[in-house]
Amino acid sequence: MLNNLADFAKKASMAQDRRQFLVRAGCLLFTVGGARLWLTPAEARSRGADLQVLDAAQTRTLEAFGEILVPGAAEAGLAHFVDSQLAADPNDCLLVTRYFNIEPPYLPFYAGTLAGLESLSAERHQRAFAALGEAEAVALVRELGAGTPRGWSGPPAELGYLVIRSDAVDVVYGTVEGFRRLGVPYMPHILPPRPW
Amino acid sequence: MARDHAQVVIVGAGAAGSVFAAVLAEAGRDVRVLETGPVRRLEDFYSSQLWARRLKWAVPHVAETTRDPVWFNLNAGRGYGGAAAHHFAVWPRMHADDFKLRSTFGKGLDWPLDYADLQPWYDRVQDDVGIAGDAAAEVWRPPGAPYPLPPVPRFAQGEVLAKGFTASGLRVAPIPVAVLTRPYKGRPPCIWDGWCEAGCPTGALANPLATYLPRATAAGARLQPGCHVTRVLTDAGGRRATGVEYVDDKGSRRELGADVVVLAAFGVENVRILLNSAGERHPAGLANSSGTVGRYLTCHPSVFTFGLFDADLQNYMGLSGGQIISHEHWAKTGREGAFGSRQYEAAMALKPNDLLGIAMSRADLFHRDLERFMQRAARGLGQMVAVCEDMPLAENRIELDERRDAHGLRLARIHYRTSPDGLGLWREAVTEGERIMKAAGATEVWHGPKVAQHLMGGTIMGKDPAASVTDGYGRAHDVENLFIGGGGLFPTSSAVNSTYTIHALALRAASRLRDDQAALRTR
Repeated sequence: MLNNLADFAKKASMAQDRRQFLVRAGCLLFTVGGARLWLTPAEARSRGADLQVLDAAQTRTLEAFGEILVPGAAEAGLAHFVDSQLAADPNDCLLVTRYFNIEPPYLPFYAGTLAGLESLSAERHQRAFAALGEAEAVALVRELGAGTPRGWSGPPAELGYLVIRSDAVDVVYGTVEGFRRLGVPYMPHILPPRPW
Repeated sequence: MARDHAQVVIVGAGAAGSVFAAVLAEAGRDVRVLETGPVRRLEDFYSSQLWARRLKWAVPHVAETTRDPVWFNLNAGRGYGGAAAHHFAVWPRMHADDFKLRSTFGKGLDWPLDYADLQPWYDRVQDDVGIAGDAAAEVWRPPGAPYPLPPVPRFAQGEVLAKGFTASGLRVAPIPVAVLTRPYKGRPPCIWDGWCEAGCPTGALANPLATYLPRATAAGARLQPGCHVTRVLTDAGGRRATGVEYVDDKGSRRELGADVVVLAAFGVENVRILLNSAGERHPAGLANSSGTVGRYLTCHPSVFTFGLFDADLQNYMGLSGGQIISHEHWAKTGREGAFGSRQYEAAMALKPNDLLGIAMSRADLFHRDLERFMQRAARGLGQMVAVCEDMPLAENRIELDERRDAHGLRLARIHYRTSPDGLGLWREAVTEGERIMKAAGATEVWHGPKVAQHLMGGTIMGKDPAASVTDGYGRAHDVENLFIGGGGLFPTSSAVNSTYTIHALALRAASRLRDDQAALRTR
């Protein structure tokens, strides 16, 4: 039985470090200044790579929202991560959205949640969400998480909170760097194509 | 329309389909496996909870018009290996009383077979793939051959939580898993890094890519990825399947003739194909003269209980499915307001992200509160899950939606509501789980929401053709050469993970089919 696995298994067991017998070093393809480059989401953000799906206003709101949910999410490339996955085939999409019984395409869900957040911010504070002070933003997000914001319009607020919180957790903690930040070993068999 | 022919056409390359393919191809049958998803190889399984999501279902969309979500996309799979490519390989056996609920307790349904009928097939599967466990420690284990492999190691989290169980008067045993603890039949042992859900690329975990699919292809079975089966075709009388219609990876609609058709496309897709195969002779759908296709959908209402500990639990080590198990409270009767069994699994290897990850255990936390929690929980979080039996109810069902997929076929939708018994078991588990965590020494204890695991039913087996879809071998009552594989056959859910039983049923049926020349008569 399983003879045709034998070679694979043998190579695996003979590797000096079996946790890393195959290392992938790919990135995502982003466009920067007209050039197509393989970059991590964080690199894509820092180099100002074009977004494929999200517009500038949505990107600002998403990054500000993500930063309140999980500090470090914006710099970790949350917007570029979400944008790249919204542009993907739903069957290849890496967003946790696919677990929540949300029917693809997922962009209307994200757009609706971000628009709802901006509407709420305008109603309460007459400012864009990204312009709120930390305490104001935290209070608003707390309402979303509880699913009870008065005057909310859009997809269920609690679901929007859960999904975008998960995205932010993914880019901050679901990577090799994120594990390191928590002081736990990543121990990959096969490293994923950069860093998430 | 192009038409080809194979002796056996299998729809789906997951747990059941791979067993059918291996057994029948090794018997010299001309076997073709049509898989809607892509080719997957062991080396495609990146160690990442994000990339693990590619192994799950997405489209065609399955709507859940229900108060109690069954988390279809999370439970289902797509591509070679199917759902078993990302399953946790917790493989306990069902108990004898699970097969006779109606006749023994006057509840639920009976299976058309007994534990004794299935025991030899559990034993054979166990020998084929290798299961690690401690049969003596599992004092509740039904009769069967000893495990071929020693049990999984226990890391700090397992030791600590085991003390909580013991202090609460519940015995535990090493969790029985289809994961290798030493080299077995050419496969290497596990190294306990907890990436089970992302797919195990070493072959230590018994996903079909490491077990039956290599056997099938070595024996000549042909696997065709990207082939979405739309209908089962029948002869004029509607009593024999003549093949399947499918859309291939280039979008062309094709037909593949067959002497035998095996539907093993996960419970929901099997139902969708049968209902979409409605014709003049079977207007309510193929194999549905009983009206039960899609009915009696069940799952396991489950609750995750969490505890924060001051100690370093090494909670990043081990298996996604845990280190210890308890069937101590298996007896189905004797509880107030709740009938059925319950299983505990505890000490899962944890990752920071994803639905079952550390951050989601406290979904209410964000910003600095979440940062602080993550730092503490990264090594101090303990986790266990209670898996509860749910009663089969005819109104819990899969049916066709009015909307259609890219190929013009009606989509599936799910209606599900946890039975009062299942809900009672779940509530009891919430209380007991928190008590166990406290007894283990946790400084903070909480539990998650009600979740669903392991979809079963929808194409149930039974003795009565008027009340079930197939016989005890998964052969459709209405269509003599149509077999069904997978958890959809289960008339009742038990409280154990379903993949082992899926394998045992498939091996039993495939062996019968192999030896039954009449079923495989030539054109």
